[in-house]
Amino acid sequence: MNQQLAGYAPTPVAARMENHGRHMLKVAMASGQDLYARTGSVVAYEGFVQYEPNPPAARQIASQWVTGEGAPVMKCSGDGLLYLADYGADVVVINLDNDALSVNGTNVLAFDAHLQWGAERVKGMAKFAGQGLWNVQFAGTGWVALTSRGTPIVVDCGRGEDETYVDPDALVAWSPALKVKGKRSFKASSLIGRGSGEAYQMAFSGQGIVVVQPSEDSTDRLRVRG
Amino acid sequence: MAREFQRGHKAKISDLTPGTDLYVGVQITAPGLTFDISCFGLDANEQLSDDRYFIFFNQPKSPEESIQLLGAQAGDTESFRVTLDRVPPHVHKLSFTATIDGAGQMSQVGPGYLRIVAGGEEVARYAFDGSEFSTERAVMLGDFYLKDVWRFAAVGQGFDGGLEALLKNFGGEVAEEEPAAPQQPAQSAAPSFAPPPFAAPGTPAAPAAPQAPQPAPSFGAPSAPAPVPAPAPAPAQPVHAAPTLAAPMAPVAPTPPHGAPSPYGQPPQQPAAPQPPQHPQYGQVPGQTPPHGAPAPAAYGQQQYAQPYGQQPPMGMPPGGMPPMGMPPGMPQGVPQGAPQAGAGLQAALQKYRETATGQRWTPQNQQLMRVDLAMGGMPVLARQGSMVMYQGKVDFGYKGAGFSSRIVGNATGQEMQLMRCTGRGQVFLAEDGAHLHPIELQGDGICVSAENVLAFDESLQYEVRRIEGHGIPGGALFTMQFQGTGTVVVKTHGVPVVLPVTPTTFADCNAVVAWSAASQVILSSQVRLRRNAYPGHSGETVNLQFRGAPGNFIVVQPYEV
Repeated sequence: MNQQLAGYAPTPVAARMENHGRHMLKVAMASGQDLYARTGSVVAYEGFVQYEPNPPAARQIASQWVTGEGAPVMKCSGDGLLYLADYGADVVVINLDNDALSVNGTNVLAFDAHLQWGAERVKGMAKFAGQGLWNVQFAGTGWVALTSRGTPIVVDCGRGEDETYVDPDALVAWSPALKVKGKRSFKASSLIGRGSGEAYQMAFSGQGIVVVQPSEDSTDRLRVRG
Repeated sequence: MAREFQRGHKAKISDLTPGTDLYVGVQITAPGLTFDISCFGLDANEQLSDDRYFIFFNQPKSPEESIQLLGAQAGDTESFRVTLDRVPPHVHKLSFTATIDGAGQMSQVGPGYLRIVAGGEEVARYAFDGSEFSTERAVMLGDFYLKDVWRFAAVGQGFDGGLEALLKNFGGEVAEEEPAAPQQPAQSAAPSFAPPPFAAPGTPAAPAAPQAPQPAPSFGAPSAPAPVPAPAPAPAQPVHAAPTLAAPMAPVAPTPPHGAPSPYGQPPQQPAAPQPPQHPQYGQVPGQTPPHGAPAPAAYGQQQYAQPYGQQPPMGMPPGGMPPMGMPPGMPQGVPQGAPQAGAGLQAALQKYRETATGQRWTPQNQQLMRVDLAMGGMPVLARQGSMVMYQGKVDFGYKGAGFSSRIVGNATGQEMQLMRCTGRGQVFLAEDGAHLHPIELQGDGICVSAENVLAFDESLQYEVRRIEGHGIPGGALFTMQFQGTGTVVVKTHGVPVVLPVTPTTFADCNAVVAWSAASQVILSSQVRLRRNAYPGHSGETVNLQFRGAPGNFIVVQPYEV
């Protein structure tokens, strides 16, 4: 029995954040290096890890996050290994090297506490995606883990003179340097009665990348569960 | 989905995976034998003109690190990381070989494999076993070779003479029994420490003990931190079999002695030697003080814990070579911040998810995303409404209606299947619910697709909606679309589908069937009654469809009943 399951044993830790398979994130925790993780995303941990839901620091930064509710992140500290997952979504680990990245709020899984981060609503896009689109901007040097429903794709926005239009429900992350605006791409006639199903997009222009997931399911499962 | 290869099979890497950052794992075991698994980077004449591209235990990576030896992990006896787009142009072929260390012959090997993993998913596997070989002592398992594009071939060719013969074949020569190189890891890391400098006795990878590498312990293989190949153990040197580096050293190989990673502070008094060999990962550094003196974490070092702890560098003790690139010095260094596989930075992390452009009209970006270039071919595309996740360029989306959709009312919820028409110039990315997408190119032939499984198709195709009525089908009927002509249909499936040939006894659940070739005939099967009786609690009636047709017809079934 052990033989068959042996293939799923954790691999030796080589970095602070690593994928364990496609859908699980393994974070090596050490004291002094705190981590913010989505509340409810911990599937297992080893060692001595403490959790502080709705930490004051995050509450302040994320005051605009979702009005009336606490920020859906918790602060994890201690020594050990943390395994995080979000209902089987693919996990993408990014090591920011003095980069900046804007991430759709529901797609954030975990990030280093020492990164600069802030939550904000995307201008003009409130309520486009049902629950209102808010995003988290990260900058600095450190680790961020994102989730994506299905294998994501990364597209250079700067290619060609045309803008890149993305379905807000499928959007995962983008370079903050890009200009964003909301767009309805359909003729008025098609909006009356029968639309084509694609009512709104976000239009990106400028130099940078856009990360998109192959699914328009932007339900925040961790939140829905409560 | 791993593609199975057999000896002699070849494929383009790009057909296996869009990624170029590949993990190659080899499992080869035989009772009482140990194997050296190496990778030869050969030039256009299949010669090893540059011996820096002979990647083996003494030389775990190529100069620009496009080929790295990672050690035993995840069930593999040996593993490599190959970044194809960083392989220098003069290297045309990477040949993965296994040679027996000591006496023995290849016919003794048990079932093994060479596999390619990209993006965490196995994409190809070439399985072999001893019956394919006889007295060979070395075998070329598989090649990556450059012929316009990088391709993979399952080779499975043996050599009687072992490593020397293999080297001669590649125009290299063997220096006497791997000279001083293995000393290096020991010297650079050990000297200043007291005698049992590093534990790791009997590292699985150190083949001093004549035992077959066992899959389970090999996970602990300390020399195998995925992205950071620590110098591998030196099998030829019993003396140094112990001083294997016990954890991911810094990416920079010659690390000062302090760099010796100790997990959660190994108490100094703990002698290294008595460590059981299965737990080589606790590379102890006697003489090192527990990091914070914190009682709790210190306990870790003592326990026979899962390996990961053994792999971490000492807390708060950044070894000289430790700060990986791009880390500001002031940053906490308690856990390995080692740069990720592809290097630091946003671009590197996302590299494997990059858009792939092939210059074709329909390009699968990955299993779940399809890109269509409308400018190519110049005809509009009809797609299921809401399936567009992104587009670039000037594209108009319009309602495609009338006539068609009114007739396709009817699945269980009474929802209409609605299409939109994409016109213009630009690229449209289509996906839905993370379902797997399969482009099917029709060249004059016909295919029936269950309406729920159609994602998009070229407008040039003629289609016709057909209705399969039957008592018990949810919604009263199964709607299918029959496509005919020249063009591409994109079919979506939940999970990896199975394609079955149509035989006299081919049945499929009407909820799970995705598509079938138009020439086969569909009959409602009456077996449903048996099935219903077999499950008394089963309230809904399920109808099986039986297919009939000439040989050559096929059906596609998904592992999901809508």
